[in-house]
Amino acid sequence: MPVDNLSLARRVEPRQQVVKQAIHWLLRLRNNHGNSRLTRQCEQWRAEHHEHEIAWQRVQSLHAELSSSLRAVQGAQVAFNTLENSAQGLGRRQALKLLSGALLMGSAAWLARDSAAWQQWSADYATATGERRGFQLPDGTRIELNTASAVDLNYTTQQRLIKLTRGEIIVTCGGSDEGAAADRPLRVENRHGSYAPVDGRFILRQEEQCTRLSVTRGRVLVHAGGHSLEALAGQSFLVDQSGLRAAPTPDMDAGAWLDGLIVTRNMRLGDFLAEVGRYRPGYLHCSAEIADLRLSGVFRLEDTDRLLAVLPQTLPVQLRYRTRWWVTLERAA
Amino acid sequence: MSSPELVVQALYGSHHGWLNAWLRARLGNAADAADLAQDTFVRLLQRTERLELKAPRAFLRTIARGLVIDHWRREEIERAYVETIAHLPEGEVPDAESRALVLELLESIARMLEGLKPRVRQAFLLAQCEGLTHKQIAELLGVSVRSVERYVADALYHCYVLRYES
Repeated sequence: MPVDNLSLARRVEPRQQVVKQAIHWLLRLRNNHGNSRLTRQCEQWRAEHHEHEIAWQRVQSLHAELSSSLRAVQGAQVAFNTLENSAQGLGRRQALKLLSGALLMGSAAWLARDSAAWQQWSADYATATGERRGFQLPDGTRIELNTASAVDLNYTTQQRLIKLTRGEIIVTCGGSDEGAAADRPLRVENRHGSYAPVDGRFILRQEEQCTRLSVTRGRVLVHAGGHSLEALAGQSFLVDQSGLRAAPTPDMDAGAWLDGLIVTRNMRLGDFLAEVGRYRPGYLHCSAEIADLRLSGVFRLEDTDRLLAVLPQTLPVQLRYRTRWWVTLERAA
Repeated sequence: MSSPELVVQALYGSHHGWLNAWLRARLGNAADAADLAQDTFVRLLQRTERLELKAPRAFLRTIARGLVIDHWRREEIERAYVETIAHLPEGEVPDAESRALVLELLESIARMLEGLKPRVRQAFLLAQCEGLTHKQIAELLGVSVRSVERYVADALYHCYVLRYES
């Protein structure tokens, strides 16, 4: 039968499993540099089959090519920081403008211009890590999105629905609300509950387990887990699928981010870093022995590197930058 | 004139204005939009397979989307690079010529790594650019060494598929 001849003549295309084995060998050899026993075993594996050798040659040359390209970039961490930073930027733009499939509403002015169209549309608004943005909706409602937040709007002739899908927002009812409210009530929803403001202003901060609602003006009718409640200005509640309860006294000012600030009162350092970490990409941690240190103060969010640099002046800690985005705090020596 | 060219010419005649507007809405810039609209039709001319004409706008959108992403990637890399080298000490700042070369290299790598999960990409880059061991990377990312091994292997496999199988 000519089958064997045919398959020999054709270029062998290594199977997925063989490519993965070749990658495995390459990484093992790299991590055990100069291990002659491992080198011999790898050579044996390559010799076992033509397919192995092809996969090996390709994987090795691909790896060498990537390494030499990256090493051609001068300066410590320049390649890493550039690629990380741009990947995040690109992801943000794609998510915002192309992949969401939704109509992107670039600016409030654009919306207001087309007053006939706004009655019936839906759109997605989102912010990236470290970004804060405000939107004036055509009905007069204003939404502020904190870092890494997203909302979907669903305005129809019957309702005005704002869905918080991620992060934190401040909703301020507009002046034109009184007339419109009766036939098109405004409602905000998230995975933990639903919130209907009766004029006013409130903050919603969604976390993994629950959502913190803080009313700063007016009243908000809250529904969660079969329970309802009217939250008044000055009150805060924790809302989850099982219901709502009064929030403990906060150790930070809930709405200070709107002014670009974190304002803390006797806050644990561990919690503080988690809070700062919401505003910057990468990893920000402290060692366990200093996590319970307390701090109070006003911190500016516009430059979190500078914010962190201030900490050793007031606390017995030191900063360790491994790369620009990997920062750990340790007890000062 | 061969028929593919006629097809593209017909598409151009009836959809060029629309495509221009579509791109402009995404790029927010008329000059870039005009360039990418031209590029889109040039790409069409270079295609050898039969053109799908049932949904010409969806088809044009698909090509234009890819070009928009290329365009953004270039912009983001340039922005991130300029931002990064601004932190370098004076003597280490590269000159204009090597910058152009480096941007091109970074762009090709970024294209290759696109679609990887952030953790996978970070682990891979820390190994490749910074030469960190898997153990060091595991500490930085707060994951196990086994996970890092898997991430780095996944990233290499991803690059392999792009290079040799597509």
